[in-house]
Amino acid sequence: MILDRIVPRVLSVRRLPGADPALLAAYGADPKRHYALGLVTVDQDDPTYVALDEATKHARVDVVFAKSFYAGSAHASGALSGEILGVIAGADMADVDAGLHALIRCLEHDACFYTANDAGTITVFPHVVASLGRYLSAQSGLSVGQSMAYLVAPPMEHTIGLDAALKAADVRAARIFTPPTETNFAAAWLSGELTECQAAAEAYAAAVVEVGRSAWDRNLI
Amino acid sequence: MSFTRTLIDNLRVKLGAMDPLPPPPPLPVVPYPPSRVFPTPRRRSAYAEAAAKHTTALVGIGHVGTRYATNVVLQFQAELAVAHAAVGTELPEGWAEANGLLPLHSQVTSHRQFLLRPDLGRRLDAPSLSRLGERARRGIDIQPILADGLSAIACMGSGLTLLGHFTRECEARGWSVGTPMCARFARVWLEDEIGETVNCKVAAILLGERPGLGTGDGLSAYLVYNPKIGRSDGDRNMMSNIHARGAPPEQAARRLAVLAGAMLDQKTSGVPLNLHGLDLGHEAGGGYRAPEPRVRLVYSGSDSSKEKA
Repeated sequence: MILDRIVPRVLSVRRLPGADPALLAAYGADPKRHYALGLVTVDQDDPTYVALDEATKHARVDVVFAKSFYAGSAHASGALSGEILGVIAGADMADVDAGLHALIRCLEHDACFYTANDAGTITVFPHVVASLGRYLSAQSGLSVGQSMAYLVAPPMEHTIGLDAALKAADVRAARIFTPPTETNFAAAWLSGELTECQAAAEAYAAAVVEVGRSAWDRNLI
Repeated sequence: MSFTRTLIDNLRVKLGAMDPLPPPPPLPVVPYPPSRVFPTPRRRSAYAEAAAKHTTALVGIGHVGTRYATNVVLQFQAELAVAHAAVGTELPEGWAEANGLLPLHSQVTSHRQFLLRPDLGRRLDAPSLSRLGERARRGIDIQPILADGLSAIACMGSGLTLLGHFTRECEARGWSVGTPMCARFARVWLEDEIGETVNCKVAAILLGERPGLGTGDGLSAYLVYNPKIGRSDGDRNMMSNIHARGAPPEQAARRLAVLAGAMLDQKTSGVPLNLHGLDLGHEAGGGYRAPEPRVRLVYSGSDSSKEKA
């Protein structure tokens, strides 16, 4: 059945109190402000970006490092590598712990990819962030607390779906990631009122499903 | 519940997840099989019918299509039940004393253990061994031993008759015969230890044989020359099917005596024993056998009328 949830698997979670200043600097943290690190690897990258942002809403932590791995979790470097390494940093281990709990809760109960065809070989991430945290707002150039539709799909499906989303709702493209990205998906961040973001995400998902059902355009003669 | 999950669940319903399934395609029409695929042949082989009159073997039983007829199947099941019941019986405690035999007992303590531990059934327990040393005659020619084996029914049925006939046959030939004894929970190889203890030339154990279809009352006899622990099956001579429909006890006793005589003459038994020239057949009356039809345990409807007619 289509639009089944594919719940992300958190492959590893490690806490690093008192990290070496050289390491802190290399991973983008500020040794003056940051004392402890929390690291996770997950087999889905985009839900993890959302979850990292969620952590900044619940604890005094900064997302200092978050990068997807090339070609995705099907080509991971090891059993624990998955598709992304996310690092949050805080002045206090307790802050980092609170951030990690919020991050894991978000991955378990909110952000996830969905299947877009019956075989599960096409996946889509039509996520609505009701209220942006400090991480994604900085990345997208929007302000904290705004709503955002976070849309990800394979290149062809994404392109058709994004057009449908932009036309279906009163939203503005904050950023469009053309393919290929690290994981070879394509993505877009759309901003607008919460209900408009929801309408855009819905139109996007429906369009992705439709492309999966008719890969060849019926009107091509 | 998150915003996005609710949104996508609703979209899923909108795209048709909850729509009822389309009606199933109509089933193909399969024609009924013909009411009788294998008609019972009326014609029977005259040869098979004639042969069946002369044997208890399952010849001339006919068939229905590729299967046995019902009465044959029922007969098979009834005969198997007879065999099962025979294996399940136990020689009662005190049966040996009641019949004037020296009671012996193997190391087995229960019937279940008897079936599962043949090794224990091949050795005497300590009380039996001392009883044997105290009360049995020693230094004799023939030591007959009655035992239950795998069919206590056979032992209680024709065991005493066979023992009596065999003892008389031996005494008539001028051999000294040992104290009559009866072993409980005994295996064949128990005769080695008994024979070694009483120091006999030939030990003969007469015991209930492994029941077959319809024969729960068969006895077997195993003879060994110079018995001692460690003798193998290659050192023994045996005779099976000692029952009314096989070799009757009187006949069997005579043949066993001939066999024991050969062992005493040649001072060996088993594979090395030369059986050529032994008159096992005629002296024992084993030449012609009267026709032995199979004992019918079950009659089906059509059979019973035929039997009466």
